[in-house]
Amino acid sequence: MLSEPFMQRALLEVLLLAIVSGCVGTVVLVRRHAFVADALTHTMFPGVAIAFFAGQSLFIGALVAAVVSTVLLTLLSSVRRVDDDSVLALLVATFFAAGVVVVSRRASFNSDLTSLLFGHLLTVDRSTIVQSAMVTVFVVVVLALVGKELVFRSFDPEAFRALGYRVLVLDAVTNALVALVIVAAARAIGTALVVALLVTPAATARLVSDRIPMIGLVSVGLIAACGVAGLALSYVASVDHDVRVEPGAAITVILTLVFGVLATTTLLTRHRRRIAA
Amino acid sequence: MSIYGRALIEVMVAGFAAGVIGVHIVLRRLQFFTVALAHATFPGVVLAYWLGILPLLGALGFGWLVVGLLVVLTRLKQVDGSSLVGVLLAGSFGLGVLLQGLQPRPALDLTSILTGHVVATSTADVATSIVVAVLVLAILAALHKELIFGAFDPLAAEAQGYSRWLDLLLLLTVEAVIITTVPAMGTILSVALVIVPAITARLWTDRLGLTFLIAGLLGSGSGLLGLTLSDRYRLAAGGAIALTTGAVFLLSWLIAPFGLRRQARYRSAHGLV
Repeated sequence: MLSEPFMQRALLEVLLLAIVSGCVGTVVLVRRHAFVADALTHTMFPGVAIAFFAGQSLFIGALVAAVVSTVLLTLLSSVRRVDDDSVLALLVATFFAAGVVVVSRRASFNSDLTSLLFGHLLTVDRSTIVQSAMVTVFVVVVLALVGKELVFRSFDPEAFRALGYRVLVLDAVTNALVALVIVAAARAIGTALVVALLVTPAATARLVSDRIPMIGLVSVGLIAACGVAGLALSYVASVDHDVRVEPGAAITVILTLVFGVLATTTLLTRHRRRIAA
Repeated sequence: MSIYGRALIEVMVAGFAAGVIGVHIVLRRLQFFTVALAHATFPGVVLAYWLGILPLLGALGFGWLVVGLLVVLTRLKQVDGSSLVGVLLAGSFGLGVLLQGLQPRPALDLTSILTGHVVATSTADVATSIVVAVLVLAILAALHKELIFGAFDPLAAEAQGYSRWLDLLLLLTVEAVIITTVPAMGTILSVALVIVPAITARLWTDRLGLTFLIAGLLGSGSGLLGLTLSDRYRLAAGGAIALTTGAVFLLSWLIAPFGLRRQARYRSAHGLV
């Protein structure tokens, strides 16, 4: 299985994505930003779509869309009668719609949309891996620099502000990190499934530990393990049994199953303890 | 009746119901959950196609399953609500893609499920959306006082013995509205008709009763305008309708009494620049 060069590339990409999304996923969990992460995956879509058709780098397109949506998010959050969650829902719907409209003008609508939304892990090339590696190094460095501030801001925003830190700047950095992960993962597993890497592993890890570094480590490990399992499943299914299993979807479902098993165990244990007590 | 006419009725009826229930969604901050429910219809539709049952039934069944799972999972005190919703959203979407790939029969058109297709609207869809809209509006009218009470003061409502089951009922109702918009809007974009008219309505009035009416009318109107535009310029219907709701919001923000003008007045009155 691993003698195939495309499998080696896919494996390398999955491991890189595990590191970067495990770390950023922990930040998303601590900040309770699951909706923001999901919204960013949708708002990135029109940027990726336009770049795809203009023959530009998807990376640049996604980056531009991320900047535009982050600015709009901040701007619209100042409308006093509309709460943050409503703004996010508004951005999700309209940005995704814009992407769909752009793509729908093309003859190859179906295959284009599918490849943008779900990615192609098995066809990642060298340059995608290099990009992912650069993003990984960058994100890890930034997190090492501002990790303490991020945790502080999450747990006590008032004290954070009182000490003279700039909340807006830090929030922009957080959003930028999430956006970078989505950009890095878009090619491989698609914009629609990145949420699975950003939210599910960290939520699972939270069931095991309440220490932030530990949650990060467990998340990275989970994504790596489920990523390898998903890739293997996809390979075996299509080569040995001629059944088409999208690796991105397989990874997502396995991650969700692991969460489901741990969640059930946690709930049952608590239930049993309550009965015993 | 022409295909276009059918889709038009469907979108206007579903748009009205979506706008009205959207006000409840926004009051209770269930926006993210609505997005998740919209995604969760996807595996339901694929499964229904696979089993050969009505797609709307599959979508409804899977959506209700997700509602049930969320109710159970919220007992996990360690993980916050939005993460749980995210897990369910990602998981059900991944499952949809996986099932879609495993499909033994000639592949179902993924794009039309995700982004909607006017041609996909059948007479049965139109009938379903009318029945669902009437039922939903009746439920909302009958429980109006209780639902509003629960939205503004959940603790007091729970103390009086209401709440929990009402929340569940509201979530199940939302899913029913979402599935009626799926044929025309697609699974992801249906969220536009539920949430955007509701938040736009809040820019036009501060009276709750009027908010419901305006949201319903905006939902219907955006459906009508969006579908007309999509027909004229050959755009994906769901995309055109969602963009219309967004444009109406932006316009309202600029000119409505509680939009930008109110904000400017507030700022100058409080000496803020």
